[in-house]
Amino acid sequence: MIRLLTFISSRWTRLVLVLLIIQSLQTTLFSDLRPFGVAAQTVLLFVVVAGSLYGSAIGALTGLIAGMMFDMILPTPVGLSSLTLGLAGATAGLLIYFFNEPTWWMRLIAVAVASVLGEIYFPMAQSVVGLDGWLELRVIKVALIVAICNLIISPLAIVVCRWTLSERKTAV
Amino acid sequence: MAASQSTRRRAIILLILSSIILITLDLQNSSSVSSLRSVFGVVFRPVESTSRVVTRPISNAWHGIFDYNDVLDENDRLREKVAQQEGATIAAAASVRLAQELLALNGLPTLAGINAVTTQVIGDSPTNFAQTVEINQGSESGIRVGMPVLNAAGLVGKITKVYGDRAIVMLITDPDFALSIKVVNSPRPAMTTTTIARSNSATPSPVVPLEPDQILDSSVSTTTTTTTTTIAGFTPSVTTLPATPSGVSSITVPLASDLAVRETGVIEGRGPGRQPTVRFIDNSLRFGDIKVGVPIVTAGGSRSLSPPDILVGSVSRVVERLGSAGPLLEIELVADLTNLSFLRVLLYQPITEKVTP
Repeated sequence: MIRLLTFISSRWTRLVLVLLIIQSLQTTLFSDLRPFGVAAQTVLLFVVVAGSLYGSAIGALTGLIAGMMFDMILPTPVGLSSLTLGLAGATAGLLIYFFNEPTWWMRLIAVAVASVLGEIYFPMAQSVVGLDGWLELRVIKVALIVAICNLIISPLAIVVCRWTLSERKTAV
Repeated sequence: MAASQSTRRRAIILLILSSIILITLDLQNSSSVSSLRSVFGVVFRPVESTSRVVTRPISNAWHGIFDYNDVLDENDRLREKVAQQEGATIAAAASVRLAQELLALNGLPTLAGINAVTTQVIGDSPTNFAQTVEINQGSESGIRVGMPVLNAAGLVGKITKVYGDRAIVMLITDPDFALSIKVVNSPRPAMTTTTIARSNSATPSPVVPLEPDQILDSSVSTTTTTTTTTIAGFTPSVTTLPATPSGVSSITVPLASDLAVRETGVIEGRGPGRQPTVRFIDNSLRFGDIKVGVPIVTAGGSRSLSPPDILVGSVSRVVERLGSAGPLLEIELVADLTNLSFLRVLLYQPITEKVTP
């Protein structure tokens, strides 16, 4: 019973619930507002922010879980965005790893770079499983716009991510 | 600390392996993955619906700020277009009805005989690497995977995923989209006709659909009525031939070699902002040179997912290729895929896939 309560109140349960909301925002608001014809990727943003705040292991785990959930609503094969978002989260963690005491702007740069890379990983993975036709020059434009959009929304994402993934002592 | 790190590492490995297994299963069209998606959909849809309601004002404000002028311009353009096409539509409807009656008379399949479900687009693709839209009808309305989706202009895409009350439509521009089509080519610039005169009572003037700007030469002979015209595959306007003298009617029979030639190929999407292409067109002499503007329609057939003669678009560019590869055609779609609202799903299944009860 105690274990169950601990699990329910854990940050991973909170993560799944928050990801449900973020994903619903992605499929409604952010797939509708398309600056320059490109949809901002809030799920990717959350994952890279998690990586830049808590390191590559947490980033990868967050990415794998978020990707698995995102895969359930995408027409692409299940597991594809799980792997790519996992990789994006780990990349964000690795980028920040080399700085001893990263400042806020270092984190923002890491978020932007990891967003660019994360957005490129997906068409690459599509090509690997035989879904050709997406890996072309347009990807660079898409990745850059996604990075700019993510950079703008990242202060809010950092707050949400901190609240979601912070470890709290349960009074059980 | 070390224990939690090892747990984390195990979780990561487990999730990576699960992802790889799921990719493999999904690429094999496993039913277990489909049911997994459906179960997730049951949990996710209520959250999504709530988000849609909550974020609609933000979305409306965004479009109000950034798209207002575009909408005004588009409205003006559309008004002008509607005025231009109002007359042509009536004539086209008459031609289509006539063609459908002829097809039905000969026991050939027509679009009018296929049931359809009207649906509304409720969402775009959440990712930048899939050309899909979501519609608000699903298997409960009889929609199945593979069914063709149209809007008022022509073919838009096909159903790729179906849930109870919604479905995913893959658009023609998606690189994974492929469908067999026909290129309706006119082999020669002018059409010669044979005239058969026979005795009859006074007959009303026959109505022949013609495209005024595509008429190359029109002449009337002194003895019998002979019309020499070029009629492109689809003719929106109508012209009336002069009345024949009382007691003599003429039937104009075109030569078989002068009829529009159809050649099949495969249309494939190339991603957003790029026109789809048609490949595997036979470079035969009879088919002749393909000209820009030639219409493209679905081929149909017992194995095709789409019935024949749905308008897809017209040829916008012909890329000649060496050897036996045949030309590559770039297609300008008739449907505007950037602005989809209401769609029609044809409840059509090829004979080879129909399940007998």
